[in-house]
Amino acid sequence: MSRKILAGATAAIIAGLAFFGLGATAEAQDFAKYHNYAELSAMLKNLADAHKTLVKLESIGKTLGKWDMWALQIAAPGGAPAAERPGLLIAANFEADHLIGSELAMFIADTLAKNYASNAEVKRCLDNFVVYILPRVNPDGAEFMWAPLKWARRTNTRPVDDENDGRIDEDGPVDLNKDGLVSVMRVKDPNGEYIIDPEEPRLMRKADAKKGERGEYAIYREGIDQDQDGFIAEDGPGGVNINRNFMHEYPYFKTEAGRFMVSEIETRAVLEWILAHRNIAAILTFGESDNLIVPPNTGGRLSTSKQLDLVEFADATVAGAGRVGIFPSAGGFGFRFGQRGGGGGEMVITEEMLSQLMAAGGPFMFGGPGGGGARGGQAATQQTTGARAQRPTRTAATTVNAADIDYFRMIGAKYSELTGIRQQPFVVNPEGAFFQYGYYQFGVPSFSTPGWGLAGAARGQGMPSGLPGMQGGPPGAGGQSQGAMMTAQRGAGTGTGQRAGGLGAGAAPFGTGGAEQAQSYDRQLLQWMDKEKVDGFVAWTKVKHPDFGEVEVGGFKPYAAINPPAAKIAELGKSHAGFALYLTSLFAKVGIAKLEATNHGGGIFRIKAEVENSGFLPTALAQGLTAGTVKATKVQLQVAPESIISGSSKTSTVQALAGSGGRIKFEWLIKAKPGDAVGLVVTSQKAGADKRSVVLK
Amino acid sequence: MNNPLGRNSRTAVRLAKGLLAVLVVLAVIPQGGLTQKFVSDPPFKVKIDFNRWHDTAELYADMRRMEQAWPKFVKVNVIGKSYEGRDIIAVTINNPETGPEAGKAAMLIEANVHGNEIQGGEICLYTVWYLMENYGRLEAVTRLVNERVFYIIPTINPDGRQYFFESPAGNTRSGHMPTDDDSDYQFDEDMPDDLNGNGVVEQMRKYAPGKGNYRLSATVPRMLEPVPFGEKGDYLMLGTEGLDNDHDGRVNEDDAGGYDGNRNYPFDWQPNYIQRGAMDYPTQLPESKAEVDFIFAHPNIAGVQSYHNNGGMILRGPGAEAVGDYPATDIRAYDELGKTGERILPFYNYIVIWSGLYTVHGGFIDWTNDGMGILSFSNELWSGEQYFTSPELKEQQKDPNSPIAPQKSRAFFDDKVELGAEFMEWKTFNHPQFGEVEIGGTWRKFTSRVPPRFMNEELCHRNMAFTLYQASEMPMVKMGDASAEKIGDGVYRLFVDISNPKVAPTILERVAPNGVVRPDLLTLDGKNVEVISASWIGNAETYKINPTITQFIDQKNLRRIMLRNGLAGKTSRTIMYLVKGAGEVTVKYDSVKGGTVSKTIKLQ
Repeated sequence: MSRKILAGATAAIIAGLAFFGLGATAEAQDFAKYHNYAELSAMLKNLADAHKTLVKLESIGKTLGKWDMWALQIAAPGGAPAAERPGLLIAANFEADHLIGSELAMFIADTLAKNYASNAEVKRCLDNFVVYILPRVNPDGAEFMWAPLKWARRTNTRPVDDENDGRIDEDGPVDLNKDGLVSVMRVKDPNGEYIIDPEEPRLMRKADAKKGERGEYAIYREGIDQDQDGFIAEDGPGGVNINRNFMHEYPYFKTEAGRFMVSEIETRAVLEWILAHRNIAAILTFGESDNLIVPPNTGGRLSTSKQLDLVEFADATVAGAGRVGIFPSAGGFGFRFGQRGGGGGEMVITEEMLSQLMAAGGPFMFGGPGGGGARGGQAATQQTTGARAQRPTRTAATTVNAADIDYFRMIGAKYSELTGIRQQPFVVNPEGAFFQYGYYQFGVPSFSTPGWGLAGAARGQGMPSGLPGMQGGPPGAGGQSQGAMMTAQRGAGTGTGQRAGGLGAGAAPFGTGGAEQAQSYDRQLLQWMDKEKVDGFVAWTKVKHPDFGEVEVGGFKPYAAINPPAAKIAELGKSHAGFALYLTSLFAKVGIAKLEATNHGGGIFRIKAEVENSGFLPTALAQGLTAGTVKATKVQLQVAPESIISGSSKTSTVQALAGSGGRIKFEWLIKAKPGDAVGLVVTSQKAGADKRSVVLK
Repeated sequence: MNNPLGRNSRTAVRLAKGLLAVLVVLAVIPQGGLTQKFVSDPPFKVKIDFNRWHDTAELYADMRRMEQAWPKFVKVNVIGKSYEGRDIIAVTINNPETGPEAGKAAMLIEANVHGNEIQGGEICLYTVWYLMENYGRLEAVTRLVNERVFYIIPTINPDGRQYFFESPAGNTRSGHMPTDDDSDYQFDEDMPDDLNGNGVVEQMRKYAPGKGNYRLSATVPRMLEPVPFGEKGDYLMLGTEGLDNDHDGRVNEDDAGGYDGNRNYPFDWQPNYIQRGAMDYPTQLPESKAEVDFIFAHPNIAGVQSYHNNGGMILRGPGAEAVGDYPATDIRAYDELGKTGERILPFYNYIVIWSGLYTVHGGFIDWTNDGMGILSFSNELWSGEQYFTSPELKEQQKDPNSPIAPQKSRAFFDDKVELGAEFMEWKTFNHPQFGEVEIGGTWRKFTSRVPPRFMNEELCHRNMAFTLYQASEMPMVKMGDASAEKIGDGVYRLFVDISNPKVAPTILERVAPNGVVRPDLLTLDGKNVEVISASWIGNAETYKINPTITQFIDQKNLRRIMLRNGLAGKTSRTIMYLVKGAGEVTVKYDSVKGGTVSKTIKLQ
């Protein structure tokens, strides 16, 4: 990149960031801490009270703990009503321990409200669009951060029998070293798989027999086997992870996924709310998955998950709890699955039956095989004796549509530019996540980011993904389903074997970088904590244990690996406010570019119109069209249908209009008289509306 | 004077007297028994007619009449409200004197998720009625009611049912949450119109001799058929009765509803573009939510029957191929029940949904099987085969000239068997937009999907019989012999026989690893007893003669053994404990769907 351009870009970035620094009047001290439910609710109420014309506060429902899930609507009065404007939804804190998301969402709300009068960007946004904010979707779970015993889990408070042993929440963690935190414990054990990492003695890793290493430790969650079932802390209080409870790539039967998809009050409340706000044209979530720091790769796949080894090692010890008591099935009759599927596939389906079934309620064949179709004249479909009477089945998309990928990558690049975040702190697999529903089913550009990152390492570094056995989802976490499962194959996950490479900045292919190469995420995190002077690690301490005798308790402090220090909230908030504004600047916008009438005499007039999208994004992404959830833009000539002689019908629909000036033409020949006013109305679900009229001469 | 008949006549007179005496006796004593009074079949306690269709209000009223007639056994509970605010009821049949309801396996029967699939509701009525009328009369019924629980939801879509009855056009499977089918941002704003006010939405035609695109059918003159290419007919078909209500240039394009309640359940739910009619998210409909919540709150439900129409099928899942077929042991149980069902229900075929019918995502019985571990069937009631049933008639139908050949069979049945009950004749009408037209030419909606009224009772009874058979074969754990064998030093060997003689397992193998059913629990209680080991063996007698090396049950707490696979159908096995101690020991087998049984053994 040439020096000039680089300098220019840097200047722009600095100016951009400074602009928010100058304008923002958010008191720094308000955002130098994490806020509990009472404080958050008070902040929201104060904001709404202080900015009555701009900010509306409502509750979208009450949780199990009877707390409100708050929603803010921020829009300036005048112009189209908020419900008819393109909307940006910002939602956060689905995972209970991701408090930073809550703070960022609140900061953005605060920034928008306070800078409307003084900042042109904010004014443009709030005059034309609407911003909705759900700052804390899981308030019950978020409050765990203020519990006397801090245990970073992601769930709500619903009692769940995690390992299905017939007892609920009977074996949670125990604070052995009395530090008010739940971390992990290591126990000297000749059968153990782990050794202290010689390069970083605070950490542990698996002993590598090929290198002559011999395991010395077992690692567990900090606790005692309270229910005497051989597992430690396998079933603590709570719950369901709301971000595993949505419908896209729902993780069936996994411990935190809930009894079934959309089982939770919080999930249902969010869905009901967003379906009542279909003007939402883009979604930004703060959560533990990411498609912004590392956008989808050219195959449409997201980056692989990263976890903390220490946590994974401890979790592995309870993974089997859900499988105790499974016995190999008593000898079967040797049938292969499906072979004796009760006649399925062997049954003779006559044409008559098929046409009955296909007609789904239409006229009915009265007895007798063969013969004509059930509907007048229509031949029944092909002979199907013995074969499966099957229409071709579709499977749901699980990779970003090829036509949409460029938008994600472009927006991801801008995200990194505006926020400076280039390295993921961690990511989890977004199975059942809200933002994935937002794209694949709700059909709009939909993003997720942890909201912060580990600075320092260039993009493309870190643990090489896709190499077998080195990374990927948590191994065998909590009772995975045995039976053949699921329609949707893993979209995110081991993927294409390449790291979702950076954009444009010539991301180094994985594996280069010398000493930084092949570092575990634990190492990276610890280095970052040391550098930033974050007190995020509990030093290993010897304690007495009733069953093991002596153990050592230590490991990452709960929440410290998931959330940055509170001092960073303000600066992160500012850059994310800028990103939110940027997103709104991309919205599609429909308008009538041309409307003219010609008098042909004899009471016949020709009406010509052109409808265009002057925004950047198309009125519907390809996935929105595939899913059929973005309504077509409606173009309607305001005349009685009988007066149209030829041309388009009175009401036409346009599936999608391309961005940056995509246009479509309409023409009608109508019967009318001079002096009539003929109107044209264009209505779009997520790109606003326009109307114009012309008086016939 | 001499007897003119002579000696023979005396014999004859004696015979005659004897015969007369016998006749007198016979007149006084009823045939078949000396003490029994000969009367008609005993009358029923509650009179319900099964040869007509009951709308929602009548259906519920009849259920409540039965609740009043048999208050000990029958309870009508409201489990939720439909979109339009109607009650959704579940009728419980349980004998409170034979143990707590939650401790018995329950059969869930539900119907009518599709608004136009109404006869399932009639079967529900029939089932409650039949069980109660025959309790105490038929041993099998008495036992069923005493040992099991029934939850019966006669209509899970009362809005849809009512729409079918009330609306002139109402032949739709949908419910009545408004949907914007024509993408104009309005909901249900251009529905069919009953222009001539006769309660049926019919076809419209205009007589236009020599200018039309349709003509009278040569084979069935009441019907119209399109003319061949290049020809002209005498009729113009104008479509279904209707007006362009919202003046957008289209007629009747946004009818009521437009979704499929049986695609809204939370297993393999797929978005609308994969599964039409699925709505925006599973359990979005108040009806499916109420049903899901009810079933979740009753883990003792071990069997499901969901009545639909039509086609004559006994369906099992999976609904989609990608989900994978069931494991062999589950299939074995399904096959036994399904094949027997075919013999109870002539003209019904036992098939798998995805391969025998079509793909269904998010269907009810997929969720009850995979999401809740309940062995589930769904019957498609009434087959077109049932109009002309004998082999001879079916043979006749192969001849295109036969009066009952397929093209004509419907008209024949309507004329000769139903005396014209089902066809709407063409009648003239003055249409506000089209001038003089004729309206008619359709079959009433109570036809083809539902049986002729006079055949409904048989449909009800046979389907009920299949469901009661399934109910009787729900799991039921039994304990057989329980004994202790002294070994010495206070050590004993305990044997307890445990069996499940029914077809269905206590836990479907399909869901055993998935945590959706609480595992069966085998517990041992004894104050002064310590458990050394526990193992399964085939049978105590064989073991005593030839002790083999047994496998440990490798669980930390042998006093509370978890059995995630449960007990398969038609299986018996023996648990062998090695214990040390004294006194009494109680071994209990506790299964959510198989019931709880226990035995106490003295250690001596």
